[in-house]
Order: sequence, then C-alpha cells, then structure tokens
Amino acid sequence: MQLPLFEYHRPASLDEALATLGTAGSSLAVLGGGTDLLINLKLRLERPRALLSVRELPELAGVSVDAAGTLRIGAGERLTDLATHPLLVARYPGLAQAIRAVGSRHVRNMATLGGNLCLPTRCWYTNQSEGWRGSQLPCWKTEGQVCHVIKTASNCRAIHSADSVPALIALDARLLLRSSQGERELPLADFYRDDGIENNVLAPGELVIAVLVPPARLRSVFVKAAARTGLDYGYATLAGALGGSNRAPKSLLLVAGSVGTMPMVLHQSARIILADGLTEASIEAAADAARDDLGEVTNLFTPPGYKKRLVRGLVRRVLNELRRQKLPAAD
Amino acid sequence: MTRQLITLIVNGDRYQVPVAPHETLLDVIRDQVALTGTKRGCTSGACGVCTVQGEDGRAVLSCLALAIEWDNRPVTTIEGVAGEDELHPVQKAFLEYGAVQCGACTPGLIMTAKALLDENPDPDEEAINEALAGALCRCTGHIKVKIAVREAIKAMVADAAAEDSHGV
Repeated sequence: MQLPLFEYHRPASLDEALATLGTAGSSLAVLGGGTDLLINLKLRLERPRALLSVRELPELAGVSVDAAGTLRIGAGERLTDLATHPLLVARYPGLAQAIRAVGSRHVRNMATLGGNLCLPTRCWYTNQSEGWRGSQLPCWKTEGQVCHVIKTASNCRAIHSADSVPALIALDARLLLRSSQGERELPLADFYRDDGIENNVLAPGELVIAVLVPPARLRSVFVKAAARTGLDYGYATLAGALGGSNRAPKSLLLVAGSVGTMPMVLHQSARIILADGLTEASIEAAADAARDDLGEVTNLFTPPGYKKRLVRGLVRRVLNELRRQKLPAAD
Repeated sequence: MTRQLITLIVNGDRYQVPVAPHETLLDVIRDQVALTGTKRGCTSGACGVCTVQGEDGRAVLSCLALAIEWDNRPVTTIEGVAGEDELHPVQKAFLEYGAVQCGACTPGLIMTAKALLDENPDPDEEAINEALAGALCRCTGHIKVKIAVREAIKAMVADAAAEDSHGV
C-alpha cells in the first residue's frame, strides 16, 4: 500500500507547532511515531493535506516527578522507553504492563504515548483497504448511515483499543493539553466520548502535551485478552489500581478497554470490593457484577455475550493479582 | 510535489537522495539506495519483513517511517550485518539450524534478532518471544527461528568469553 501525497512540517518549537495547528485546522494531522497514522493514510481512512511532526519537540519529552510527587510523562515519549522505565516498573506496574501490551516491540520502538492516547477507534469493517470497504455500503465512519456491527446503532460503535488508556484512568491520570490560546488540564477519563468518530474532546488547535499521574501509593495491574500475545488488539483489557490493604481498601478503580467506543469504568465491581474488602467471595461477586457496568458491547469476531463473560474473567484475574501484589515502595 | 534532498546514512555509507514527504524509509532504501535485502511485505507494520535498525540499534519498521524524518540518522539494513569475511553469528545460526524456508521473512527476522541481542546479549525466553512477535515467519512456525536465536546467543556468549580470556 502506498501513502497518498501530503505536505510535511517539522516545527522547531512547540509555539510554532501550536501556531500551525491553530491555523490549519482539520486539514492537518499530528504525526507522532506514525505506527497508526501512516497505516490509516495508506488505507485512505484519513486524508490530511499535511502532517505535523511533533515527536522531536523537547516540550513533549521526559518522565519526571515534581515536588508534590506527581508523575509527568511527556506525550512524545516512546512506548519502549516507558515500558522499561525503572520508575514506571517499580511504582506503576500496571501502567508498564499496559504500555508493554501495545503492538509489537517494533511498534513500541516507534510509537509515542501521545499517539496511543489519541488512537482512533477501530472496526473490522472500516480498517480495511479502500477497495475492500467499497464492496459494501458505507457505515457511519465512512459517511454512511449504518453500523455493520450493531445494526440498531445510531452512531459509530468502533472499538477504542489503546492499551495505555485503561491503565492511566485506573491511576486517575490527568491530561495536559495546550493550544496557542492557552493550556488546560482534564481527567483522562473525561477526554473520551462514546462515539467511534468524534472519540475525544480535543479541540481544534489543541495538542496533547503530557499525562499527569497524581501521587498515591497504589497497587496496579493490567491484563489483556487477545488472539496472540504480541501485536494484536485486545478482545478485552482490564486495568485495576488499588489503594489501602486487602482487608480495608481505600480506593479502587477498575477500567475495561477494547469493549466499546471508550474505556469503561466498572463502578459496581469496585463498590463491592470497597465494601467487603478483597476476599475470595467478594472477588467472585465483583466479577459477576462487571456486566452491569458494561452496557452495550461491540462484539466483533466474537459471539454475543462473549466479551461480557471475558471481562468477568479479567476482573477475577486483576483482583486476584492485586490481592497478591506488594504495595510499591514509598520512593 | 516538492522533493527535498536528504542524507541517508545506510550501513555507514552516505547517500544524497531526493525524497518526497510521502515516501517511506523502505521505499527509499529499496528504490533509490538500491539495497533490496530489506523486504516489502504487508506495508502496515504487522509482518516485520521491512525491519531495519535505527541509530539507537532498535528495530524499526521501515514501512511506517517517513524517509524525510531520517535525514542524517544512521540506519543498518541486512546488507550491513555481516563482517568483512564472515557472517554475523545470527546469520550463521539461521543457516546452520535451518531457520529459513522460503526466505522472505529472513532479513526481517535477522534484523529483529540482532536488534534484540545488541540491546540485551543474554535475553530470556520471554524477551526472545516478545521481540520475535513483531516479525512473522509463515513457513517455520518460528520454532527453528527460536532455536537459531538461542544458538546465536550461545555462540556470541562463547565468543565474548574467548575474547576476554585472550585479553588476559
């Protein structure tokens, strides 16, 4: 597959990048590592006039902890560097596991965190060549009026499958965005929308600068169920982060990925554990409760109900692993 | 369409090549530098036959890299792996242990294995699997490939030990 023609900009500074983004609008695509964008261009799923390469911008680099203990990860950081970063591996094991679950080693050597956070949703009916897509009616994502997966859907139900996202939401991460107008911060959980096309709230001219993880000593785990261990999108993923002890948990976030158009927080399951503590019986009850939070699930490749059963098993696995995991050291 | 002159450093040799923004590193290495050992496969990052090593030695998918971003950055392709007189230990092991059938995936697998061993001279089973998962072989089922990689590791460890004792 060949790439279409486009212009290429490599801004020398963040200010220049934001100025270009601000004036060019949607005719510009932001290029990080290119491992997803260039495929989408080859498939003619996006047709930008120009690419804006932001990977080298120093403002998007670095992993650091500030005086208050907040972890800051630059959006331009490579996934390989993050998956093996000693700080992430020691203090945020679930995040390191999630980042390591993205693509293949080759892909992670190129891909950036910012790219993963902004990964477009995917669907077996759209992420195909132009010719393949042309053999059937266009769907919501390709300017049609139907969803081939959920026939009754009134919007695009393509799947959100960026593995780093559930792990970061479980850690209550925030996102730092900047445009030429200024900067804003929002919880990562509020960044995504339940729509396969307009999948996030990034405003025109805005760029993802960094992810901020608040200080907290949490146990964390990420698991992914996929056809192969390497280089596959998940059928379902689950991230969990737990504060406090097994007997008296103080906080718990369980976040499922690859099951819908946005990551799903499993409130019911977490509530059961927070009330009863981590025991064999409460883990079973929490696993059974997961389906109540999932709502409409996009079953691609899988029979109806499969993903809900899968998530039940993942909840059990994550909670058991959290129960066994030692609390990361204070520093 | 405007082309820009860039300097591509492939296996230590410098090439001045005009590139358009949409041309991939793979296109330019094969079609302009005329080194065709790097193969064109799925062109979407799934098969790994286009693997080259970047300046940090890491495996990179040249089908998903824009050539214009590789101005003055060193690249190693399969043609740059062997020494003057002898093959790289990974190449030798692939030959000796029959990790080749049709051969289409071989350059990508060798570059993948070399990138792994350059970074981690003694990888465990999990690290080998993790690296090889990004490069596919549809003939061997990866079994002979894994045997060859393990044997290459042994040979390289033995070579390093021999060199050390020689030095003393």
